Amino acid sequence: MEILQSILGGLWETSGLYGLTQDWHCLIMIGISFLFMYFAIVRGWEPLLLLPISFGMFLANLPVVNLEDAIFHASFWNEPQTVDWFWKVLHDGGLLDKLYLGVKLQIYPCLIFLGIGTMTDFGPLIANPKSFLLGAAAQGGIFFTFLIAASVLHMSAAECGSIAIIGGADGPTSIYVSSKLLDGANSNLNTGTIALAAYTYMALVPIIQPPLMRLFTTKKERAIKMAQLRTPSKTEKIIFPIVVTLIVALMVPSAASLVGMLMFGNLLKESGACDRLVDTAQNALMNIVTIFLGISVGATTTWSNVGNWDFIKVLALGAAAFSLGTISGLLLAKLMNWLSGGKLNPLIGSAGVSAVPMAARQSQKVGAETDPTNFLLMHAMGPNVAGVIGSAVAAGVLLSVIAY
Amino acid sequence: MDFLLLTHQLSMLAGGSIDGDKRPLDISEWLGVTFVGLGVVMLALVLLIIVITIFGKLFEALDGYEQKKKAKEAAEKAPRPSAVKAAPPAPAPKAAPAPAAVQEDEGEIIAAITAAIAMMGEADGTVYQIRSVKPAGGVSAGRSAWAMDGRRQNVAPF
Repeated sequence: MEILQSILGGLWETSGLYGLTQDWHCLIMIGISFLFMYFAIVRGWEPLLLLPISFGMFLANLPVVNLEDAIFHASFWNEPQTVDWFWKVLHDGGLLDKLYLGVKLQIYPCLIFLGIGTMTDFGPLIANPKSFLLGAAAQGGIFFTFLIAASVLHMSAAECGSIAIIGGADGPTSIYVSSKLLDGANSNLNTGTIALAAYTYMALVPIIQPPLMRLFTTKKERAIKMAQLRTPSKTEKIIFPIVVTLIVALMVPSAASLVGMLMFGNLLKESGACDRLVDTAQNALMNIVTIFLGISVGATTTWSNVGNWDFIKVLALGAAAFSLGTISGLLLAKLMNWLSGGKLNPLIGSAGVSAVPMAARQSQKVGAETDPTNFLLMHAMGPNVAGVIGSAVAAGVLLSVIAY
Repeated sequence: MDFLLLTHQLSMLAGGSIDGDKRPLDISEWLGVTFVGLGVVMLALVLLIIVITIFGKLFEALDGYEQKKKAKEAAEKAPRPSAVKAAPPAPAPKAAPAPAAVQEDEGEIIAAITAAIAMMGEADGTVYQIRSVKPAGGVSAGRSAWAMDGRRQNVAPF
C-alpha cells in the first residue's frame, strides 16, 4: 500500500497539475495564447506568424515540475551568454530552446530577409530614387523613440535600442537588433517580447496609420495624382542590389548581414538565371524559417518575461515608435510636395515605415477614399521598400553605436 | 560650433562607445544617438539616391543611343528591301482614318451593346432600356472605362 502511495505521490508531484498548484500564472499566459490563436484563425490577423507564435506561447507556458521536461527554459535566456552557456543550451535545452538559438544567433532574420529579397520588386524605387528620402525619414520613429526611452524613462542603451527598432516596422530587423543587444543579463527585456510587440503593431498598421495620415494631410494634398513612373531596365534592376550592398556595407558594416541577404535574394530574382533557388528561397525556406521563428519567439513569452511593467513599457513605446515613424514620413513627404510644386502626394510618406506591403496599402486606401480614381500603390511601394533598406541601415547604426 | 559638436559626437559614437550595461544614458549620449543616427541613415540613403539617379540617367542615355543606332541602321537598310517588299508600308495609311471609322460605326456599337444587354436581360427575366449614351468625362477623363476597371481590379486585392 505504501509503495502504491509513493508511486502515485511521485506521479502527482511530477505532473503538470501539481505544477499548476505551485504557480498558477501560467494559466494567464495560456489564456492569452488562446486569444492570439483566435485572432489568427478566426480574425485572420497575420495567421502565418501569429499562429506559430501563439502555439509556442502555449507550449512554453504548460506547467512542468521537472525542468528536464520543459520544452523551453526561460531561465536559460536570462543568463550571460558565454561559450559554455551555448553548450548548456544544446545539452540540457528543450526543443524550443534549440530552435531559439536560430534567433539568438541572428540566423532566422537574415534568412527571412533573403526570402523577402526574392519577393521584392525594387522597380518603383529605381524609377523614383527620391523615395529613399521618405524611407529614411520614416526611420525618425526609431531615433525619436530612442530619445524618449532614454530621456523620459531613463532606460539603458541596450533597452532603448531594442525598443526603438520596433519603429522600423520590420519584424526580422527588430529580432536581429534586440537579440544582439539584449544578452539576458543586461535587461529584464528579451527578444521575444520585442518581436511580439513588433509583429502586433505590424498587424495593426491598418488601424494605426490611417487616422495619422488624415490628420497630417489636407484633402487637397490627398487628392494629388502623381505622374506615372518609368519602367527600369533589367540591367538597372540587376545592378541595384549590388550597388546598395556595396554602399551600405561601406557606410554601416554592421547592417551588411541584413542588407546583404536582402539584396542577394533580390539579385537571384532579377538575374532570371536562378529560378530554382528563387523558388526555394521564397517558398520552402521562407516557410520553414517562419515556423521556427514564430514558435520559438512565442515560447519566450512566459509569465516571468511578460508579466511585468517592462513589457507594458515596450508596448507603449512600440506604439509611439510606429506613430512617430508614420508622422516623420508624412512630414517629409509634405515638404517634398511643397518643394516639387504640388507633384507628390504626401500620403506616400507614411509608406516609408517598412511594413511591406501593409503600409503602401494604406497609402492606396486613404488616397482612394478622397478620389477613387487615384492609384498611389506603385508610388507608395518606392518608399515602402526604401523603408526596408532604411530600417536595416538604422539597425546597423544602433549596433555600431551600442556595444554588445 | 555645430560642426565641431557633430564631429565630437561622431568620434564619440564610433565603434560601440556606449556600453549596453544597465545604466541610464546621459544627455550627450542620447542626443548623439538620435541626431547622428538619423543623420547617418539620411546620408547613406542620399548617397544611394545619387548613385541610382546617375545609373538611371546613364541607362536612359544608353537606351536612347541604341534606339538611335537601330533607327539609323533601319533607315540605311530601308531602300534595299523596299524594292522587294513594297507592300508592308501599305497598312499605315489604312490605320490613319480608323478614328473616323469608329465615329461612323458609333450607332452600330451602341446597337451591339444594346443587343448584349438585351441578351443579359433575357437570362434573368428583366427588360433593360438604354436611354442615353454619353462620352466619358470628369473623373475618368483621359482613361477608358475598361482601363479604369482593370486597374481597380488589380489594386483591389491590396
